[in-house]
Amino acid sequence: MASRQRYDFLLYGLFVAAILLAPLMLDEFWLNRIAKYLVFGMLGVAVALSWGYAGILNLGQGLFFGAGAYMLAMSLKLASPTSLQQGSDTPVPDFMLWNAEPGALTQLCCINKGSFIWLPFQSQWFGVAMGIVLPVVIATITGLIVFRNRISGVFVSIITLALVLLVRLLVIDAQPLTNGFNGLTDLAWLTIGAFQSDPYSRATYYLVAIALSLVLVGARLLVSTRAGLILQATRDDETRARYLGLDVPSYQIFFFVVSAAICGFAGMLYVMVSEFASPTFMDLSFSITMVVWAAVGGRSSILGACVGAILINMIEAKVSETKALVEVWKAVVGLIFVLVVLYLPRGLGGFAHDLLDRWRAPATEAASDEGLVAESRDALAERG
Amino acid sequence: MIDTMFIGLSLSSILLLVALGLAITYGAMGVINMAHGEMVMLGAYTAVLSRIWLDANIVMAIPIAFVVTAIVGLVIERVIVRRLYGRLLDTLLATWGVAILIQQAIRLEFGLSFFGIHVEGLGPGLQNVPVPAVLQGTFHLAGVEINTYRAFIIVVTAALAAVTWFLLQRTSIGMQVRAIIRNPKMAAACGVDVARVNALTFAFGSGLAGIAGVMMSGFKTVFPDMGTPMVVDGFLVVVVGGVGSLLGSVLSAGLLGEINSVVAALKNDTIARAVIFGVVILIIVVKPKGLFSFRGR
Repeated sequence: MASRQRYDFLLYGLFVAAILLAPLMLDEFWLNRIAKYLVFGMLGVAVALSWGYAGILNLGQGLFFGAGAYMLAMSLKLASPTSLQQGSDTPVPDFMLWNAEPGALTQLCCINKGSFIWLPFQSQWFGVAMGIVLPVVIATITGLIVFRNRISGVFVSIITLALVLLVRLLVIDAQPLTNGFNGLTDLAWLTIGAFQSDPYSRATYYLVAIALSLVLVGARLLVSTRAGLILQATRDDETRARYLGLDVPSYQIFFFVVSAAICGFAGMLYVMVSEFASPTFMDLSFSITMVVWAAVGGRSSILGACVGAILINMIEAKVSETKALVEVWKAVVGLIFVLVVLYLPRGLGGFAHDLLDRWRAPATEAASDEGLVAESRDALAERG
Repeated sequence: MIDTMFIGLSLSSILLLVALGLAITYGAMGVINMAHGEMVMLGAYTAVLSRIWLDANIVMAIPIAFVVTAIVGLVIERVIVRRLYGRLLDTLLATWGVAILIQQAIRLEFGLSFFGIHVEGLGPGLQNVPVPAVLQGTFHLAGVEINTYRAFIIVVTAALAAVTWFLLQRTSIGMQVRAIIRNPKMAAACGVDVARVNALTFAFGSGLAGIAGVMMSGFKTVFPDMGTPMVVDGFLVVVVGGVGSLLGSVLSAGLLGEINSVVAALKNDTIARAVIFGVVILIIVVKPKGLFSFRGR
């Protein structure tokens, strides 16, 4: 196992070096785009954690992404000039004024019925903290209900899916509070000391790249801890793990929450680089698309899922420059997806691992034994 | 109140037509077919195209749509789903890919738009289908004013549900399907040709979704993305009703449809859908096997 891990960390190192060196050869426009894709890569990590390692196919990751995004966006909206210049001492989001009843007091406390919940968001750090706290709280509650009741497999997927669609509708319906379909736009930049999150600056790119590197390496270390191994045992055979006396739900809840926190974090970074938050983050198709990225990259490989997300989006950006190809590209993605599920169930990452194993197998006796272990483990994973 | 309940019943009917196919394919074959919504969409487009090219009205489009979507369903089963039996979540992902492919096929007019050929009724735009004069307007029944088209939907659904019930309970192939729902391996051991029965079941389920699409085209706009919410709703119905239970699907379609129309009448459509999702989550948590089920999956 040790040498396999060494290869792994070599690959992780290469990837981190690549994203940190990218600014040397790209202009600001592309850096901004790549930063977005790195955020999507982080979503790939979250999916790989919950799906690849915990066997929980969460079709509602968009909920946590959206929650993180909205929390930060609310703070940045209040800090934006469009909220400050509304003829009042305290900031009021412009859309609240457009929808305000005649004669309503133009104060955040009482311009409409629920607007007081915006009050604490006047502090930027409250928004930043809530961007992690809210997804964690939602995931903990959901996880407690779902996993303590031993709900598993596709039912978890359906519950998470119903949950994200439910919240999406509530956000859209609460138009006076959330600006409904339009989402939150015209946001300010996040200010940390002298740093401002200008989406087209190198500094912001580095913020995202370093964040992704930390999340990536953290997730990789997490899955090789005892908790991570127990989780994989659960994924492969839940009943057996229970018989071994393990408190399975606790581990599932823990990883579900970690995955949600990563999504929330990614949501905040996305708001910084794209300067908006909208209910589309909670569309069904976005949540499934995340799973697609992870599946193409390799669900059981954290780096694979991350690279899969980045690659698909980069190719998409290139292809989309030709207008006629935009729609064709979607069809190609559909096709790639079908082919990957049929012929490469473990994605490109799994394919690379197989090649690596085959290449190393004849080298030493020990190595081939390792290959066998890996193969049988992977065979188990596929069955699950 | 009665007219709200009636609207709810017609919503339930559409839900049921979509869910019946899913209930059978999911129950019998363990396949989550995300492309099922696209069958609804294809059915609706069949109605659009048969009006334009065959001058056929919505009633005549029903059998055409059934045949078209059943064939498409058969092809999907033969080419893709067949290889994925036993890998439940993988079927979900692969058929999501199929769904995208079908949507793009309609958007790009099967690729013809690249050669400058435009087929009227296809493409990315919105389409709609007029309802024939006979089905327009309202009539009075026992003092209540009833929308003729909604009544038509309910009657067609009732007829199709009856046909499905008859096929499942009174024919030899239906008995084989039921055997597979209970235990596929045992059914195979008893000489049931599981592969063949599965293919036919899949085609029949797709055909029913196609008919649901024709019905929808009469009161909703037709566009390439219209199927996605339908497949979600269909699944909620199946899960609430209990996997493999047809009666369960009928009752839960009724329940969800009514909740939707009552809440929509009291508040608005958005909240109505949100309430549906909330109810479904509750039901899964409280009764994971569904309200009326032989077994869970």
